[in-house]
Amino acid sequence: MFWKLLFADIKMMVRNRQALFWAFMFPLLFSFMFGFFFGKDAKNGTVAIVNHSDSQISTKYVEALEEAEIYKVEKDLDIDEARAQIKSGKIVAAVEIPEGFGDLPEQKAPQVQILPNGQVIMPEKVKIPEQKMKLVIDPGNAQINAGLTGFTDKFLSQLNLKIQGADEVFLFEEEKTNDKKLSYYDFILAGILGLSVMNSSVIGIAVSMSKYREDKILKRITTTPVPTWAFILAEVISRLMLNLAQIAVILAIGIYMFDANIYGNVYVLVGVAMLGALLFQLLGFVIASLSKTTDAAQGMGTAITIPMMFLGGVFFPIDSLPRWLFSIVQYLPLSPLLRILRGVSSEGLSPFSNPQNIYIVSAWIVAALLFSVWKFRLTDE
Amino acid sequence: MDDISFDVYEGEVFGLLGENGAGKSTTLEIIEGLRRATSGNVKVLGLDSRRDQKTIKNKIGVQLQSSAYYNFLKLKEIIQLFCSFYGSDVDSMQLLRMVDLEEKANSYVNSLSGGQKQRFSIVASLVNDPEIVFLDEPTTGLDPLARRNLWHLISEIKQKGKTIVLTTHYMEEAEVLCDRIAIMEKGKILAMDDTHKLIEQSENPFTISFVIEHKVDKKIFAKAVKFGNVENLFGKQNHFVLRIKTKENLNKALPLVQKLNPDSIQVGQATLEDLFIDLTGKTIGE
Repeated sequence: MFWKLLFADIKMMVRNRQALFWAFMFPLLFSFMFGFFFGKDAKNGTVAIVNHSDSQISTKYVEALEEAEIYKVEKDLDIDEARAQIKSGKIVAAVEIPEGFGDLPEQKAPQVQILPNGQVIMPEKVKIPEQKMKLVIDPGNAQINAGLTGFTDKFLSQLNLKIQGADEVFLFEEEKTNDKKLSYYDFILAGILGLSVMNSSVIGIAVSMSKYREDKILKRITTTPVPTWAFILAEVISRLMLNLAQIAVILAIGIYMFDANIYGNVYVLVGVAMLGALLFQLLGFVIASLSKTTDAAQGMGTAITIPMMFLGGVFFPIDSLPRWLFSIVQYLPLSPLLRILRGVSSEGLSPFSNPQNIYIVSAWIVAALLFSVWKFRLTDE
Repeated sequence: MDDISFDVYEGEVFGLLGENGAGKSTTLEIIEGLRRATSGNVKVLGLDSRRDQKTIKNKIGVQLQSSAYYNFLKLKEIIQLFCSFYGSDVDSMQLLRMVDLEEKANSYVNSLSGGQKQRFSIVASLVNDPEIVFLDEPTTGLDPLARRNLWHLISEIKQKGKTIVLTTHYMEEAEVLCDRIAIMEKGKILAMDDTHKLIEQSENPFTISFVIEHKVDKKIFAKAVKFGNVENLFGKQNHFVLRIKTKENLNKALPLVQKLNPDSIQVGQATLEDLFIDLTGKTIGE
């Protein structure tokens, strides 16, 4: 009986094409959106280089800019075309290198003069005339401008020092708190996992249970000898299978398309995400217990998931929130889950490395379970 | 519910008749174990409705008022799923054939008409070959033809030896289908008996309905109507209904009416509706 129920639930889930589409559309949308912005091939836009010089220095500059892989470099435009394309937003900036830029006057052999009285006269330093390249930038694009001017400034400063034969005296070194290569995409990937599992579970369960109750399907079930637990368990397991598929798709896209850096065990990561799915399904039951109609369940589900999406730390670290707000939102169900997910994926930590996170997640699971057992009814009397 | 008590006998069709909100569905749900009664006790097939709920659920079939079924399962699959709930193994096609839904076996519930949905809902309550079938307003909202169709279905189920308890607010339906009826209002049972006895309990169980389109002999007319109460049928000037208390009076009034040479004459019984009006002082509204 239980297996028939489970099988029927899975069948219905697969046949409900529209719901299935959105269950995958949402995580896919986020994966691709953030992947293209911040993943492996993400560039900050295109910079046109109009190089009129054939000097070594100008060539080196163009090479360096290309190698830095910060921007896509476009070399086939003239400066007026480049200006027009900046205005139209096709490219973000242009660099014009004038003819002769980087040509150094021929070095004459140093002539040291020794006067008859023994005085040594050093050769006069050759004065190199000032040369300027031009950065064409859009003042509205502060981040790009800072990046491009910073890059160019650093390149030219080093060049100036070398030409003058000066030594670099004041330097700095970087020490990273962990030696792992991480990008914003890696941060967001764990967020997308948590977010997708939360959205489809909370709203999915809340809406389907309310709808079943509204249509009296739940009541009809209670007229049969099927125990309530079997009915609910079949529903939960079939949805967990959907969650598993979502998680697999998100991770596959992250790893194979956008070169996400995952340092922990992928299976542990999946396990933690599934724990989250269970927690959010239980929250779905809590909502279904509290709402009388399907519309109310939908509204309540959205009212809970949307703020949690921002306050739980899907898109940015919640540590940057004001202290008082952080001290509250760190206990939201999504926050500790994301901390565990990020710990596993970015640092290769065990989910138990910070037991507080597991405690909070478990506490939510227990609380939601108790509440649902207490309040959730199959009929609406 | 207010202090009600009744028995349903094996093999009969028992009807709970009353307006919306009279407490018919609540009564059924208490019997089916879906609701807890605040006091009193219910026995189903000799079993205590609370203690032996699981055994009872295995032996009864329930059709709920306006209940839907799963959207993305085919009719055949729903029947099979419900069979599995009882561990029974019924031929789903045979059940669907019984309600003329064989061709729809691979369709979803959404694609059914109102009458088909009701028929499906009834047949879904038969998957466990129940001893008692509870039908909650099985024909509400159906057109007259579909309703008649369902009456046939219900009588077929009765012929299979099942006991049927149904609720309805259609007088005609109760009269046609039920062996015994309890009339309910505001949680109380106002009257309960065999259907024909109930109707005879009506204040004026006999009626003569006649139409006279020519000039009426006022003397004879006055004599005839002394044996009962006469009124114009819903304001029709030439259509009279004479309601009569006793058989003797009927026998005396009838020849007098015939003397009036009516264009049309019908002798009939009071209906359940007449009784209902006698009992509650109002007509039933949908």
